[in-house]
Amino acid sequence: MMNLASNLPAFLAFSFLLFSFGIVAALSRKSAIGVFMGVELMLNAAALNFVAFQTLRRGVVENGHWLHGHIFSLFVIILAAIEAAVALAIVLRIFGNRQTIDMDRATELKG
Amino acid sequence: MDSLILYALLIPALPLAAYFILCVVGNRLPRQGDWLSTGAIFTSFLCAVRIFFEMWSNFSPDWVVQQSWTWMDLSTLNIPWKLDLGVRLDNLSATMLVMVTLCAALIHLFSIGYMRDHHGKPEDGYRYTSFFSYLSLFTAAMLGLVISDNLFSLFMCWEVMGLCSYLLIGFYRHKPSAANASLKAFMTTRVGDLGLFIGLLAIFALLGSFRFEDLYNAINSGVFTNEQILGIPAAFLIGLGIFIGTVGKSAQFPLQIWLPDAMEGPTPVSALIHAATMVSAGIYLIIRVFPLLEYGGVLTIVAYVGGITCFFAAILAIKQNDIKKVLAYSTLSQLGYMVLVLGVGSYSTSFFHLITHAVFKACLFMASGAVIFAMHHEQDMREMGGLKKHLKFTFPAMLITTMAISGVPGFSGFASKDKILAYVWGYVHLHPQHALLAFFAYATAGLTAFYMFRLIFMTFWGAPRSKHAEHAHEVTWNMWLPLAILAALSFCVVYTGSVTGFGFDSIFGAANNWITKLNPAPLVVGAEAARQALEEAAHHAHYPAMIASLILASGGIFFAYLMYGSRRLSAEKLSKKWPNFVHKAIDNLYYFDWFYIKVLIQKLFLPFSDKSAKVDNVLLDRVLVDGWKDVTMVGQKASGIFDDMVVDGVMVDGVGGMLPTALGNSLRSLQNGKVQRYLMVAVVALMLLFLFRGVV
Repeated sequence: MMNLASNLPAFLAFSFLLFSFGIVAALSRKSAIGVFMGVELMLNAAALNFVAFQTLRRGVVENGHWLHGHIFSLFVIILAAIEAAVALAIVLRIFGNRQTIDMDRATELKG
Repeated sequence: MDSLILYALLIPALPLAAYFILCVVGNRLPRQGDWLSTGAIFTSFLCAVRIFFEMWSNFSPDWVVQQSWTWMDLSTLNIPWKLDLGVRLDNLSATMLVMVTLCAALIHLFSIGYMRDHHGKPEDGYRYTSFFSYLSLFTAAMLGLVISDNLFSLFMCWEVMGLCSYLLIGFYRHKPSAANASLKAFMTTRVGDLGLFIGLLAIFALLGSFRFEDLYNAINSGVFTNEQILGIPAAFLIGLGIFIGTVGKSAQFPLQIWLPDAMEGPTPVSALIHAATMVSAGIYLIIRVFPLLEYGGVLTIVAYVGGITCFFAAILAIKQNDIKKVLAYSTLSQLGYMVLVLGVGSYSTSFFHLITHAVFKACLFMASGAVIFAMHHEQDMREMGGLKKHLKFTFPAMLITTMAISGVPGFSGFASKDKILAYVWGYVHLHPQHALLAFFAYATAGLTAFYMFRLIFMTFWGAPRSKHAEHAHEVTWNMWLPLAILAALSFCVVYTGSVTGFGFDSIFGAANNWITKLNPAPLVVGAEAARQALEEAAHHAHYPAMIASLILASGGIFFAYLMYGSRRLSAEKLSKKWPNFVHKAIDNLYYFDWFYIKVLIQKLFLPFSDKSAKVDNVLLDRVLVDGWKDVTMVGQKASGIFDDMVVDGVMVDGVGGMLPTALGNSLRSLQNGKVQRYLMVAVVALMLLFLFRGVV
């Protein structure tokens, strides 16, 4: 098995790339689905970071803190699932109202 | 608080309260409230009697009860100015209080009869309430003046009295002559009040206090020694200022012109204000500040003003045919006596004459009111005659008081006038250069007896000369009772009954009367020798003066009898022997009115006011006001251009218009409603925050 601790920068670099793709997607995609996928990518980048940083806490296993990162990543996954449900519902309502999911067309927030 | 002080405060407070009540609900009271006003002043009289007996039981020249309350105190601001208002009861004010309250009470009583029928029944009597409310206000002010322990509250009361005098002289306001007379009185006394006010402020500036006590102490501790105002000794200037106040109020030469005209008022008013009380308030004032006058050397001026007034007014009285005018000039003349003897240096004699004169003159005026009333408002003595058998009470009262004013032995006027003549004689003996004063005083004594008995003979003796005189009726009790009381008080006994235990040993000797005994002049350091000399001289002059005064009085009465009683001598023939210019001068009242109106007002004041109106029109209005308009117009135009160009053009349209437009245009894109753009901004902002985190 790979030594997670020694490869932490690699994990972080990957997480960074993932987050960057996510944010670029969220900011630039015209489709609401694309934006939603970008958000998913960002969430997963965050979850990966949690797991990666958990390896730094090996020395304090005895105190029972050795699973915090993993548990948090599980929370993130659950949250992502809920968000997917809510977001898809919103996308469906937008499509139902105006037959398109183009983000540039949804400008009701305009002041 | 001393109970006496409480009584003293009650004395003016009661009439004042009556005034306010009459002002508010007077017309709705039964009898229109005349009883309220009269009752208030009678209660005041009882309080005054209470104070008087307190003084009497402590028979001493030094008796004084005083209390003052601080009104304003600037000493906390490091300014040594303190304004106290207070009450001072001493022999002077206690005697004066009794005199004023008595005269006022009796005159109130008299007015009920006089004014009531004057204006119909009280139920429909027009302005009956106003008359009594004015009387009450006047009485309150006069009494407030008497109890004042300082010049400030005295001055306030003084001005209120001036106002009441104005209101009451002009009481018959439908008559133009009454309206003019009230205005004349008010304006003329204002000239005097200005002098008083200047003196007052100068005292305050020098001493930081208005109190008489402080003034006396300051004089004796030498505060005035080197004090000068405009290069003139301060004591002289202040004394002169205060004396000018007296000249105005007591109608002395040269401001005497208003008093005869003041007879336009109702007769009770003439009795109260223009004979007994208000005009003697001026004398009271100079008696109060006598040490200042003595110290400042104003007394010689005072004496000459008094002498001129008493003599020339007496001459005027001879030719009057209006019964009230005779009494008006006689009042002038007697006030002149008081001023004269004060100027000569006898403080207490002046006060003595003030009291006796107030009593007999109030009676004379009321008696003349009763005569006028009985004559159906005819005032001309040529229409009267033979009234003595109709007026059973008025006639004896008037005769007694006439004898008093003429100086017949046994009556009060003899005692006081004799003392005046003695002091003037003594003064002239010491200072022969002032012999004119003695001439004035003695000539006046003879003239007084003459014109007063002329009045008596013309009014009461002989045959009735008109229908009204034939059918005259005696007045009601509330009109003759005051006359009887005052006539009783015009006997010499009241004043010279000895209080030292020697009984009435000095009925004919005027030297021992309680008023003079109780009121020696306040101490002035350095004046003792002169005073002593005057007393000595007056003592020696006493018998010659008495004899001279007797001769003059009997001579005056005798001539009056010959000319108007038995008519052996024709007054017309005698008067033709006087040179024409004398008649003219007398008829024109010595041209004083002419001088004031034609010369002072028309030649001096009116051109002056025309000139100053021109200055006002040309310089102030045209040059300054209108000129300023031009200046401001130029400024307006410049600022208009500035407004258009800079404010509107650059600021409003430029900065105010373009900047927000540009800013708004650029910022509008932030609010385009696109969620992605918002997110973009948030991310960029977050990145910027991270970027500058290290910097900050």
